[in-house]
Amino acid sequence: MKIASGILTAVLSVAACSAAFAQGDWPKKTISLVVPYAPGGYTDSVGRITARYLEKALGAKVIVENRAGAGGIVGTQYVAKSAPDGYTLCVCSVGAVSVAPVAQKVQYHPLRDLSPISIVSTIPQTVIVKKSLPIHSVDDLIKHAKAHPGALKYGSSGAGGLMHYTVALFQVRTGTKMTHVPFKGGAPATAAVVSGEVDLSFTNMTDALPQMEAGTVRGIAVTSSERSPFASKLPTIAESGLPNYSAESWNGIMAPAGTPDAIVQRIATALAAMAKDEDVKKAMAVAGATAVSTTPDEYKKKIAQELEQWSELVKEFQKK
Amino acid sequence: MDAFTLLGQGFLVAGTPQNLLFCVIGALCGTLIGVLPGLGPVATISLLLPATYALDPIGAIIMLAGIYYGAQYGGSTTAILMNIPGESTSVVTAIDGYRMAQQGRAGEALAIAAIGSFIAGCVGSLVVALAGPPLARMAQKFESADYFSLMVLGLVSAVVLANGSVFRAIAMILLGLMLGLVGADINSGMPRMTFDLFQLSDGISFIALAMGLFGVTEVVSNLESKSERALQVRPVRGLWLSLPVLLNAKFAILRGTLTGIVFGILPGGGATVASFSAYALEKRLSDDPSRFGKGAIEGVAGPEAANNAAAQTSFVPLLTMGIPTSATMALMIGALTLHGIAPGPMVISRQPDLFWGLIASMFIGNVMLVIINLPMIGLWIKLLQVPYRALFLIILVISAIGVYSVNNAIFDVYLTAGFGVLGYVLRKLDCEPAPLLMGFVLGPALEENFRRSLIVADGSFAVFVQRPISLVLLLLAAALLTSVALPFIRRRRVEVFQE
Repeated sequence: MKIASGILTAVLSVAACSAAFAQGDWPKKTISLVVPYAPGGYTDSVGRITARYLEKALGAKVIVENRAGAGGIVGTQYVAKSAPDGYTLCVCSVGAVSVAPVAQKVQYHPLRDLSPISIVSTIPQTVIVKKSLPIHSVDDLIKHAKAHPGALKYGSSGAGGLMHYTVALFQVRTGTKMTHVPFKGGAPATAAVVSGEVDLSFTNMTDALPQMEAGTVRGIAVTSSERSPFASKLPTIAESGLPNYSAESWNGIMAPAGTPDAIVQRIATALAAMAKDEDVKKAMAVAGATAVSTTPDEYKKKIAQELEQWSELVKEFQKK
Repeated sequence: MDAFTLLGQGFLVAGTPQNLLFCVIGALCGTLIGVLPGLGPVATISLLLPATYALDPIGAIIMLAGIYYGAQYGGSTTAILMNIPGESTSVVTAIDGYRMAQQGRAGEALAIAAIGSFIAGCVGSLVVALAGPPLARMAQKFESADYFSLMVLGLVSAVVLANGSVFRAIAMILLGLMLGLVGADINSGMPRMTFDLFQLSDGISFIALAMGLFGVTEVVSNLESKSERALQVRPVRGLWLSLPVLLNAKFAILRGTLTGIVFGILPGGGATVASFSAYALEKRLSDDPSRFGKGAIEGVAGPEAANNAAAQTSFVPLLTMGIPTSATMALMIGALTLHGIAPGPMVISRQPDLFWGLIASMFIGNVMLVIINLPMIGLWIKLLQVPYRALFLIILVISAIGVYSVNNAIFDVYLTAGFGVLGYVLRKLDCEPAPLLMGFVLGPALEENFRRSLIVADGSFAVFVQRPISLVLLLLAAALLTSVALPFIRRRRVEVFQE
């Protein structure tokens, strides 16, 4: 069965290839899909799943190139400065695209130097608390934090990352104060909630799910605007009394600005089909992510909205 | 079902012809990659990952694990033959191993490294099988304050491991600590000492530093002497170990194994601290510590056993908790995820075949590595007979490729060249690079855990002595420091007395 479907995809991709020749001769060489994080991480998994699919769909070799550094800035900048010929693409993520440009100095503008193609996966942050705490809901959390200002400690993947900023946003909206404890990466921050060294963290679903299943931490909410299919019992923060609170981690494919529209559209079409592919959905689910797709315009709008949300937060920070 | 029954089932899984083949391929690839300077398991596994998509998850993970411990084996080969450690754990092996090679005892050094690793690997795997989950719970008891004290112990070991002057060793550790400070500040995220170079925002690459200080420096120093060939001073005196030599090293192997098992389960530098501590331990216990740094076989046997035992037990937090202990382990998590398995506390009960199959394959892999490596010793030694005008060029080119492959960054290659110059200057000043690397590796972890402990303890320094684990580690460090300082002070007093 697998072989049969393999042959079928091969035939289809050959067909797709010949159709492509009619549109121009892209792709005629290897496409490199830059992952701005170290191999083995969550974005790396998403990148590899995408590369595996695009290789079949575009009929060209697609390799994953890890260019890690500075929370994704190094790799994203590399792509922003690459030739806009459709052979260098980025598996960008919310941190380096929507958060870093407003929070620190970067040498690219996410919308002027990059051309969004499609979001491929989303993953909510999950609010997990250590089991010994009497906190069972977002409401409990707010009350506890207000009763003991600064006493609750939250772990993050590092200063200025999404795990830090989602809590910062939560504090601003609820008027609470908690203490930030940065770790080097999301996994050790999650482990610290398990061991009880910190009280809570807004951890991504990939890291949180196995721990919640094993009962080592207590999940109380998700940060996305809709509930997550992986933990449908968990309410969103928005439905727990903080309307409009929405923060989720996404990964999307971007090209250097100026990449020919025909190429952008062709990749977008392939990615739209990818989001419906059963194998891809399954693979993304294991990573804790939901396979999605957007049009380039929808993607652009989302980034613009996020840039606005985080720059307001940063302004709030600077007032203090 | 008891662990032995389960392990037996594991052997059935790992022993299928197909999985045996993956195990051999992995171990062989790993060895070859490990031997090439600069190329490490991280680059190899990420390159070979797509090739495993077609395999079933168990076969894939067995192969990738084979690459990992194969590379540990291979890494010690270049450390011994060419004084180029590819990983922080083989820095120590280079100290006495390279000296042995210069004395024509390369075969002996390689053989003891292989045998020590084999014994440690088997014992380590057995420990993972019998006590994996309880060990993982123990590792979880470690909090930031305990890690801080562990790093202090590591740094004290680095002083002990210095062979020349204690003053120079401390200076080198401090220099290493300072190099380790480069990069984003952990609490604020602000760049520190990066000179506005975003390439430095995550700090200096370890591989670039190690390749520069060891590899490039070695080549440059060798070029200095026109006719002589320092790489191998005397001809090779036989490839094998004599029985008395092996018996001499047996306790070193056992102590190293134990050290490695304990430290290997700790995330964040556990394996590095293990190999350095094993060396320090051997030197302290030795009747004649002055032999160390001049080709002492225990100085190779102990740390090699420690790093291989640590390589096995570092799978414990990964498989039982889903927590990676190193970059390679993070990659393993990625590989498992791509194969549809979410690592975490439930893996053992949900995927018993995977867990026990992997452990069984560790035994098989260790046996294969000895079978692959012992006969290859002759081949590796022949490598030294390659004319040096070719060999040096090859070393430099492969090192450059290796350094580049880690982050795909040309900047790291420039860094390597720069550290080559620094290494040469340090060598002229009689300063050893090993304590510098130790400071560099442990420094950031020391700072990170120190600052985090204080945040969590609301600024109270008492946390370091209130936590039992931390207190024990600090006392150990103090004891070790006293044992180094005492003879030093006594000698000074004798000198004063003589005047």
